Amino acid sequence: MNNAKMENATHKVRNIGISAHIDSGKTTLTERILFFTKRIHAIHDVKGKDGVGATMDSMELEKERGITIASAATYCEWLDHEINIIDTPGHVDFTIEVERSLRVLDGAILILCSVGGVQSQSITVDQQMKRYKVPCIAFINKCDRIGASPFRVIDQLKDKLGHNAVPMQIPVGLEADLKGVVDLVTMKAIYFDGVNGEDLRIEDIPQNLLSEAMERREELVDAASMFSDELTEAILEEQEVTEDMIIAAIRQGTLTCKMTPVFMGSAYKNKGVQPLLDAVINLLPCPSDVENEAIDMDNDSVPVILSSESGKPAVALAFKLEEGQYGQLSYIRVYQGSISKGDTIVNVRNGKKIKVGRVIRMHAEQMEDIETIQAGYIGALFGIDCASGDTFVAPGVNLTMTSIFVPDPVISLSIVPSDNKSQINMSKALSRFSKEDPTFRTYVDDETKETIIEGMGELHLEVYVERMRREYTAKVATGQPRVAYRETITRKAEFNYIHKKQTGGAGQFGRVAGYIEPVTDVDFVFENKVVGGKIPTRFIASCEKGFRQSMDKGPKMKFPVTGVKVVINDGASHSVDSSEMAFQTAARGAFREGYLKAKPVILEPIMKVVVETPTEFLGAVMGLLNQRRGTIVGSQEEGPLCVIEAQAPLSEMFGFSTVLRSSTQGKALFTMEFGSYKQVPQSVAEELVKKAEKKEKRVTF
Amino acid sequence: MLKKELILQNPLRFMGHETDDILPEGGFGSVLARAGVGKTALLVQLALNNLLRSKNVLHISLDDPVKKVSLWYKEVFRHLTKSYDVKKINQLWEALLPHRFIMTFKVEGFSVPKLEERLTDLKEQNIFSPQIVFIDGFPFNETVRMPLSDFKDLAKNHSFHVWFTVRTRRHEKPGPDGMPAPLLDVVDLFDVVIQLQPEGKEIHVKTLKGGPADSEHTALLLDPSTMLITNNQKLA
Repeated sequence: MNNAKMENATHKVRNIGISAHIDSGKTTLTERILFFTKRIHAIHDVKGKDGVGATMDSMELEKERGITIASAATYCEWLDHEINIIDTPGHVDFTIEVERSLRVLDGAILILCSVGGVQSQSITVDQQMKRYKVPCIAFINKCDRIGASPFRVIDQLKDKLGHNAVPMQIPVGLEADLKGVVDLVTMKAIYFDGVNGEDLRIEDIPQNLLSEAMERREELVDAASMFSDELTEAILEEQEVTEDMIIAAIRQGTLTCKMTPVFMGSAYKNKGVQPLLDAVINLLPCPSDVENEAIDMDNDSVPVILSSESGKPAVALAFKLEEGQYGQLSYIRVYQGSISKGDTIVNVRNGKKIKVGRVIRMHAEQMEDIETIQAGYIGALFGIDCASGDTFVAPGVNLTMTSIFVPDPVISLSIVPSDNKSQINMSKALSRFSKEDPTFRTYVDDETKETIIEGMGELHLEVYVERMRREYTAKVATGQPRVAYRETITRKAEFNYIHKKQTGGAGQFGRVAGYIEPVTDVDFVFENKVVGGKIPTRFIASCEKGFRQSMDKGPKMKFPVTGVKVVINDGASHSVDSSEMAFQTAARGAFREGYLKAKPVILEPIMKVVVETPTEFLGAVMGLLNQRRGTIVGSQEEGPLCVIEAQAPLSEMFGFSTVLRSSTQGKALFTMEFGSYKQVPQSVAEELVKKAEKKEKRVTF
Repeated sequence: MLKKELILQNPLRFMGHETDDILPEGGFGSVLARAGVGKTALLVQLALNNLLRSKNVLHISLDDPVKKVSLWYKEVFRHLTKSYDVKKINQLWEALLPHRFIMTFKVEGFSVPKLEERLTDLKEQNIFSPQIVFIDGFPFNETVRMPLSDFKDLAKNHSFHVWFTVRTRRHEKPGPDGMPAPLLDVVDLFDVVIQLQPEGKEIHVKTLKGGPADSEHTALLLDPSTMLITNNQKLA
């Protein structure tokens, strides 16, 4: 890879993701892509495919084979274009990791199983892509399986996901008879010969498929004409409709997310992969087709459009970290300017200046040193200490690619290593995970001395515990999951607190008066309205510090406090006895005094739950949700299936998957993501108080 | 109190009805308009008014997914409450939600027996028992009389009343009494019929059946920017 090639060639780059439902063949397809692009030289099968924990399957597979199929960004070449395949997390819990991968992609392949069709997880994956406006093409895989019905899946794409899905191919034979595909643009049949389907044989369309192909092509051209005046004109004036015209129109429709071209085949049987790669080149966007925004930190967080023109200051996002043999590898995508060996860049999060050492790019099996990463390209930096999601910029620029807002964890779990070796490995794993994912946090509990991990959901933590076991061979036992409750106040209350201590030595004196009141959207606001120096200016910061300290453990239940505004408007000091410490203590006393008068309540995380179930179990599922203090927002019937949307407290959702499975003969699926914090009902609050009292007693005895 | 103030703003009160419960048990009301004029918006206003009075509302949509229906409620509620304190609004919104249940069906997959099955499910498990049902997108075609009669029986048995949206079409001629075509054969089943009529830039709200005796209150408009009912004093 030379730099001359890297420059001015962003139109020959595709940064894509492969999004898929578990068990729809993501690993197999990725593997075939790497094989056909000559990145790997032999095809192996995915082992132990049981549909459970497929994410882990692929990681295990990587280990066994020593290649990085699912590494953060794998580079390959096709038709003189460079394709970066970016790993999109396989689990469906909403985490920052998903958001970040989707930011780095310019386009995606949505894989669907021709038998299973669109299922609830495909819906989640699709929603995420829509949220980030990622243009995509669809690949209906497993057309060799019994029950394969690609056109039913296309209908589901339209009905369930609302895509303007248009077939680009029709299959030649189906199930065991799958022989190839008919390309509706070139109107030729493509067969895949050779041991691994590497030799394409292009022939005329078989007679029995000709009329269907003509009909489908007409539909395709019709749909494409919506996006091109040239094509519409050619059709109306009955001129020749060229392949280029059709491709250009479909590309236009795809880039604007108004059309989803659908391809089909069987990755496992090596059918349909090469035309799909052609489509990645022809239909998915290159970096300059996509508008990328950064946030200007100097200018009230106004969004700024980044430009890939040369000469602009560098802006890059670290989207994934990998612990390699020689230290930390930080994958970055450069959005503006370039980053070269020897450059000085700034990490926007902490303002630290960094000297760029080695700049590399990943191939499936090895890495290659390069000089520069240009805008639109993906590469990696070696030996740079950063967290995933950090933005790097040229000195003097203050733009960030990600918003600073990181949701607080809602669930925690204690983990205990079984031996010394596990303890060391666990520490390594925890340090890496918390760097990778800001929603995953870890700390040691002061009271119990246990290591606690926190995250956004049961599954979120399960995935990390599993990774700890598999990737770091850390044997750990986990405790019961605990919900991250919060406290807040519900009304305004005044305080007037004097802290006075005169028991020998230097005395302490400070009086703080004012009020606290509820505030929405922020955790804490402090306002100083003291006039006339009643509290000397040098002690105001100490007051704020004292109030802030009180927010960590609420006086009601010792849960973290949120949504409080503190206003101080009066006070008193003593010329000798007042000190920073005295005012901090006074502020803590004042907080407690005001807080208990301000009707404090406990808040709990409420999750958005979506269950997809066959209609016959609808009543049973609604009953299950109802028993769990769930509020059912609604039910949506879609043929034989029904989707229930509900909100339920996280504390009631532990073990829901097992109960759901047993009540629906394993036919229902559910997804859950954090929604908001809400006040717990009185009865539950009392229960929590009782539990806390019991625990305290146990500690005392 | 915010709740009370909002109840006072309810559209039916503007229409001059003495009480909001203008429909008896098993009674039918309908909102008629051409596509895109604001049927759903008015329906959601009526529903919100019932929610504010702590009545259990079942909203059935035969076109839109649950998310879209929820969004309608949020939008109309936001418009209704935009001049009030955010914290109070959020609390009120949370208090309303348990009284609302949304069901969506494909038009072809919807039938009265199916709805009855769902309702029995909900009632038996004590999950939800509607006091008023709003149904958006019910197909008023030639064969509508039978399902509507069944619906009426269901409504009587379960002690609720029903509001429908009815889509009218430009080319369909109304009956001699001005009743729009889709309701011509079934108007006897309805107690109240309200039509939204765009005239120039304004949308007029007209009561075609079951209106109050006092005709002073009939000059109402739907504000096209918020889709909320406004009392047009100029016209009154």
